[in-house]
Amino acid sequence: MLKINNLCAKVGDNEILKGLNLDVKPGELHAIMGPNGSGKSTLAAVLAGRDSFEVTEGSVDLDGIDLLDLEASDRAREGVFLAFQYPIEIPGVSNLNFMKAALNGKRTHQGLEPIKAKDFLAKVKECSSLVELDGQLRDRSVNEGFSGGEKKRNEIFQMAMLEPKLAILDETDSGLDIDALRVVSKGVNAMRSSDRSFIVITHYQRLLEHIVPDFVHVLSNGKIVKSGGKELALELEEKGYDWLKEPSHDTSNA
Amino acid sequence: MERIDEDKLIDEVTGKSYEYGFTTDIESETLSPGLNEGVVRTISAKKNEPEWLLNWRLEAFKVWSEMNEPDWAHVEYEKPDFQAISYYSAPKQKKELASLDEVDPELLKTMEKLGISLEEQKRLSGVAVDFVMDSVSVATSFKDKLADLGVIFCSLGEAIQEHPELVRKHLGTVVPQRDNYYAALNSAVFTDGSFCYIPKGVRCPMELSTYFRINQAGTGQFERTLIVADEGSYVSYLEGCTAPQRDENQLHAAVVEIISHDEAEVRYSTVQNWYPGDKDGKGGVFNFVTKRGLCHRAAKISWTQVETGSAVTWKYPSCILKGDDSIGEFFSVAVTNNKQQADTGTKMIHIGKRTRSTIISKGISSGHSQNSYRGLVQIHPGAENSRNFSVCDSLLMTDTCGAHTFPYIEAKNPTAQIEHEATTSKIGDDQIFYCQQRGIEEEEAIGLIVKGYAKDVLNKLPMEFAVEAQKLLTISLEGSVG
Amino acid sequence: MSVFTDKFLATLPPPTRKSERWKYSPITKLLNNEISISTEGAQGINGWPESVLPNPVLNLDAYLVVFKNGTFEPTLSDLPVSDGVDCIPFSKMDQSGSLKFSNGYHQKEWIGELNETYRQDGLSLHVHRNVKVDRPIVIHHLTDGINVASFPKHLIKVDEGGELNVVIWSSATDRSSGMYNGLLEASIGPNAMLSLEKVCNEGGKVFHFSHEHIVQERDSKLKMHTFTIKGDWVRNELEIISRGKGTDSVFNGAYLPLGTEHIDNHTTMDHTSSDCTSSELYRGIMYGNSTGVFNGKVFVRPDAQKTNAFQQNTNIVADRGAAINTKPELEIYADDVKCAHGCTVGQFDLDALFYLKSRGIDEKAAKALLVEAFLADVLSSVSSTELSTEIMRIYTERHGW
Repeated sequence: MLKINNLCAKVGDNEILKGLNLDVKPGELHAIMGPNGSGKSTLAAVLAGRDSFEVTEGSVDLDGIDLLDLEASDRAREGVFLAFQYPIEIPGVSNLNFMKAALNGKRTHQGLEPIKAKDFLAKVKECSSLVELDGQLRDRSVNEGFSGGEKKRNEIFQMAMLEPKLAILDETDSGLDIDALRVVSKGVNAMRSSDRSFIVITHYQRLLEHIVPDFVHVLSNGKIVKSGGKELALELEEKGYDWLKEPSHDTSNA
Repeated sequence: MERIDEDKLIDEVTGKSYEYGFTTDIESETLSPGLNEGVVRTISAKKNEPEWLLNWRLEAFKVWSEMNEPDWAHVEYEKPDFQAISYYSAPKQKKELASLDEVDPELLKTMEKLGISLEEQKRLSGVAVDFVMDSVSVATSFKDKLADLGVIFCSLGEAIQEHPELVRKHLGTVVPQRDNYYAALNSAVFTDGSFCYIPKGVRCPMELSTYFRINQAGTGQFERTLIVADEGSYVSYLEGCTAPQRDENQLHAAVVEIISHDEAEVRYSTVQNWYPGDKDGKGGVFNFVTKRGLCHRAAKISWTQVETGSAVTWKYPSCILKGDDSIGEFFSVAVTNNKQQADTGTKMIHIGKRTRSTIISKGISSGHSQNSYRGLVQIHPGAENSRNFSVCDSLLMTDTCGAHTFPYIEAKNPTAQIEHEATTSKIGDDQIFYCQQRGIEEEEAIGLIVKGYAKDVLNKLPMEFAVEAQKLLTISLEGSVG
Repeated sequence: MSVFTDKFLATLPPPTRKSERWKYSPITKLLNNEISISTEGAQGINGWPESVLPNPVLNLDAYLVVFKNGTFEPTLSDLPVSDGVDCIPFSKMDQSGSLKFSNGYHQKEWIGELNETYRQDGLSLHVHRNVKVDRPIVIHHLTDGINVASFPKHLIKVDEGGELNVVIWSSATDRSSGMYNGLLEASIGPNAMLSLEKVCNEGGKVFHFSHEHIVQERDSKLKMHTFTIKGDWVRNELEIISRGKGTDSVFNGAYLPLGTEHIDNHTTMDHTSSDCTSSELYRGIMYGNSTGVFNGKVFVRPDAQKTNAFQQNTNIVADRGAAINTKPELEIYADDVKCAHGCTVGQFDLDALFYLKSRGIDEKAAKALLVEAFLADVLSSVSSTELSTEIMRIYTERHGW
């Protein structure tokens, strides 16, 4: 589904991604971990199409489409979804109107008619119950006055509504208490399927107990320096990231 | 900012007669340009006006001649040459076009975007309307309904002929001739406008709109509108329409007076899209309007406006809260783009006890425009326990535009409570990216965000107007992404 | 020497109500007075009234520069003497100093032109690079006499990395009348800091005009406080211009006029460069038949992106007969900015008042507590506790809390 090849990106004069490679097959959930400043959020932003970042080299292929060639809104319509680390507030624009505009944008792109009101409301009901988003929050302006946990649940609600092919979750667990984490994880797990892939960016292993990854990668200094299965996450939890900085270091010497 | 002399509002206008003897030829269709007493007399004569009104006009003319045109710091424009304007033309027979094909295609494109029906488009462009389509009969049945209730809604000219006592009692009581330069000019040479009277206790069942005055021929330069809501009545009045209105007349100096008697309520909504001029600001309309309402005991007046047009706008719809427990409201979205300039706001004058006022002003500036809010909240010594709440926000869309706020607050009573807040912001890149990542394109995202920003005001408009106004907002900001 | 203030010794016309900036503060009363400038020279302790201390700030260990009716009093002063600070009145300079006035205020406003025409003395204060002046410098202006005028003009320059705290305090004895017309120009170099506190505690009937013009270079910090405790007719004008990136300007004020006093605070904050912050908080309570006027202009010029400007004016009209005219203004020409202003006029929080009373505190004491809370936000940012304590003490004494 997703092939990232030698991706290099910078912001201003700072090079952040320095040759990142990643291969994600349909149905897989890949976790990306790494120390602060390693480039995790940059990766998310670059994949989503944030133009403050400049791609200097490399390619990103999504099911045969050159993703880097597309504008952010077109990438979204092709099925890329980013759950923001800091979801933005948009005063005066209701959550529902926002979702309707987004859904219809995608449908138009696919040559479909705009969604009928009845179907839309049914979908909203289904997706809200997935993340326990009550009616009150749904009717408010996008993220306005939402608590941290409510904002993150709103992101997952939107993901459920838009049914992306590739979902990138950028530190969705940051700032969440145990209950919120449980709800968010439940929502993500319910969305897992054989034709949907996930890239889950996180700092802490805790999330990965609830959302079990197929692969874990460590991003350090703009590159993926180690990959493994879900046990790698536990190893990182125990040892931190330092041991990975030396390329010759191997786990038996801890 | 002019102060309102309370005595003047209450005193009746006294007529005086002048000893000049000349009038110009009544038969001619259009007066040659220029303004002098003779012109005023001719206008009055052509309209067959009673003596008291002629005298009222003459007094206004005298006052105007002694005044100076106001100078406002934030609006720069080439001052109109008052001697180059013709002050009277016979009601134009609207040039009838055979079909929409003869209409300016740009105009048609805009009307389509605004969702205006084909029949409406024809009517607005002066295309002959098919009688089958019924717009005349619609207007007729509408008028019958109103007549049953005793509601008078007609042109001011008609009202002067048919209900002179009503007009005389109220004309100039809220905006006296000497109120300001443009009001004086208007009082001297107004040609027509609307008159509306709602009898005691009557709730007008439908929105009154200038739209339905089939008899009016084109928009006047110096329109005068007078709305009187008698005790306990209610009316919602709509002015303007979203279709772009071009006019050879550059200067529009209208006056609107509203009197809301005890426990009455008047809602006055305006959606104005005067031609703003081209990208360089040339050729647009100058819109200088004096709008004011007087509230008696427990009465309410709400001004709601969506302003997107005009090259230069200068208007401050105001409320004089004379009666105890009266309420004044002002909700406005003012958009300026390209080289437009707007200096607009409101005045809330609290005289009675427990009076309340709410001001919500949302300015949106783009291009190289300048958008200023100028407001006055004045609490007189007798206005016990009065309250005001104002929010005045500015949204800047480019780095070449300007947004300014000048709120004046004058409080002379210790029990008053006034709260004023203003914020300035721009549409954040983050906000736009968030929308884009959800598959919403940039222009649409901006439209969504702007509508969200203006929501508090758009919600106050009558439903049909609100939908058109929303579309209008989006269109007027087209191409303004900066 | 006589100063005829009503005829054309000034070439700029005196302001009238028609002038936007003077709309609420007409000066007609002043123009009808005869005012003269003292020719007596320094009088030392013998000419100094007993009721006033040369150092007006009790307990504050500070350098002192004393002027009486505009004349420098060397025997009552205590100037700093150190390498890093050049602090000397213009009258004592043997050659013209290295500092020069640059603001053209006297060419724009009548008040400024009067000062330029009749200027007496003033302090030239230059803090060198990276010098942190060890004690605050208190400049004390006393007006004592009938129909007497003072026209001081001070100049302050803080070089890169320097730090300075100045207090300008003006007093007047109860028998006094006349005019105080004081100008100040200050420039704050890159990374430098100036903390300036201005206190007006004038008895009698003195027309008080003061104008501060402060220019900030990049990354500098300004803390400015304007306290009007007592003054028959006071006009405080403050102009702050940020000329470089990253400046921070905090300017707060308080005014509590009594009787028929008139206090007018006009401020201007001009952001010309990016990434700067400013914060303004003015609080006032109008008692008796007094009038308060506030006008705060904030300009954000086209290149001043990422400006964060905040302005708040809170007023209480305490008695019938008192009035407030306030106009917070914003003129914004840059789009990537965060600017907000708020303005309120209201009363003491009745709930809070009741709560205090229900705990056995009488109305007068309860109101006093609320006023203290009201002023606390403005006082808390004052540089020295001795100063804030003294200001609060005088307010308390004056208002009988």
